[in-house]
Amino acid sequence: MSEPKKRNNNFAGSKSEVIVMAVFAFACFFCVWYLVSLNERIGKFFPNPIVVLESFFQAFVTPIGQNTMLEHIFYSLRRVTTGFLLGAFIGIPLGLVMACSKTLRALLMPLFSIVRPIPGLAWIPLAILWFGLGESSKYFLICMTALVGITVQTYHGALNVDPLHIGAARMLGANNFQLFTNVIIRSAIPYIFAGLQGSFAGAWCAVIAAEMIRSDEGVGWIIFNGMNYANTTQVIAGMLAIGIVGLITSALLRALERSFCKWNIQGK
Amino acid sequence: MKKRLRYFLLSVLSLGIFLFVWYLITDILGIFPERALPSPTKILTTLMKKFTQRAPDGGTMLEHIWASLKLAMYGFALGAVIGIPVGIVMAWYRKADLFITPLFNFIRPIPPIAWIPLMLIFFGIGQTAKAAVIFVSTVTQCILNSYLGIKQTKDVHRWVATTFGASNTQILFKVAIPSALPMIFTGLSLSMNLAWMTLVAAEMLAADKGLGYLIQYARMMARVDLVIAGMIMITIIGAILNAVLTKIEHSVVKGRHME
Repeated sequence: MSEPKKRNNNFAGSKSEVIVMAVFAFACFFCVWYLVSLNERIGKFFPNPIVVLESFFQAFVTPIGQNTMLEHIFYSLRRVTTGFLLGAFIGIPLGLVMACSKTLRALLMPLFSIVRPIPGLAWIPLAILWFGLGESSKYFLICMTALVGITVQTYHGALNVDPLHIGAARMLGANNFQLFTNVIIRSAIPYIFAGLQGSFAGAWCAVIAAEMIRSDEGVGWIIFNGMNYANTTQVIAGMLAIGIVGLITSALLRALERSFCKWNIQGK
Repeated sequence: MKKRLRYFLLSVLSLGIFLFVWYLITDILGIFPERALPSPTKILTTLMKKFTQRAPDGGTMLEHIWASLKLAMYGFALGAVIGIPVGIVMAWYRKADLFITPLFNFIRPIPPIAWIPLMLIFFGIGQTAKAAVIFVSTVTQCILNSYLGIKQTKDVHRWVATTFGASNTQILFKVAIPSALPMIFTGLSLSMNLAWMTLVAAEMLAADKGLGYLIQYARMMARVDLVIAGMIMITIIGAILNAVLTKIEHSVVKGRHME
């Protein structure tokens, strides 16, 4: 799920060259975009980059629909955080319990295996039928999307504890409870974080899908509303916002991981 | 052996109790009305009937499956055929890496779902738009994984090849690509899952055929049994696609299990 922390970079290229090439690449990208949009037939529904950037920044001041861009982002973030935390609160204990107790694994694993392969977004119609068109159906959907990844990673983390560590703790007289809190949970934390990071991307996808299907605000609504009015500028501005928020949240999760499990980063 | 048997029995028991309680609260006690939670037997009969019946959404199950599968395969194949070589070129040639990587990192954080409205504007409500969305979701994952796979080529292996006089291209084809294959296949299976999910979402938004359309239509008709039957079919097809991919991987990637 998660990328390896350190990649073997074959090129030790100088920093200035990297920057120059990046600037050149973006310049080419925007030039091609601009030139394509100059064509009259395409330009009708494909605005040039300047217009898009302008309307993107404009959206922070003048509202799209009922809300400004920041408010839309706030709505989406609130939804995704609530559903995601719900998923984590169910998923982490579920994974730990299934890894630690054979009996509970035998009981819960078959049920979890039914839910696991269902693609997250396939829950949308059922969520709407069960919870209505309001917020709770979105929380349910996001929770189901996040839950699976978090549970799987936690389970693997708690199952793959170094037997040497368990043996050492047992020899030093740890009881089951101490073994669980001091050894198993701690060795599972890096896996749990990998699960959280991987699932957040899925949850972010889910909130956008949910908002496209039915809502009055949020970044998913921006792009869907833009599509309904064939307003490509609004669609691309919304996509830009979605990408940027996704980047920032994943960077925040990485920073959280760095401060929570320093030993893991240093060990790698 | 005894422990295994106990585990197996407990698993069966758990499933059995789950289904029985479900049956009990729906069919026998009637705590949940059928439009909230239909019984397992009802869902099963709906699923079976759907294979021959066109009502209410105008297509049999097989027609929906075929429509979805065809689209998923188009987008996926195109994404893989373009994505994997691009990823390899990016990882192997310095200029390409410096040029494409910043653009790729700019596009990548946008989830495939967010491409749906743009593609619908460009291509109209039709097969092309959905295939394009699946293409985008597949191509990013394939580029990423083949890039990372090539970058992880062991230096020692490259040195050995260089010492024996292999050219840069020879090293790429004889050393780097074979050692990146497991990673590339991981990318393929990840993007297969992603493509299948994205397709379902796209069909929910705009389609007149396909499994996503089926569950969305059943939702509007408030037919929970049909929604769940559709979900079961989506899950099964997804699992089959994954199994096929794993099978291909086992026959193509040699030596993976020797490590």
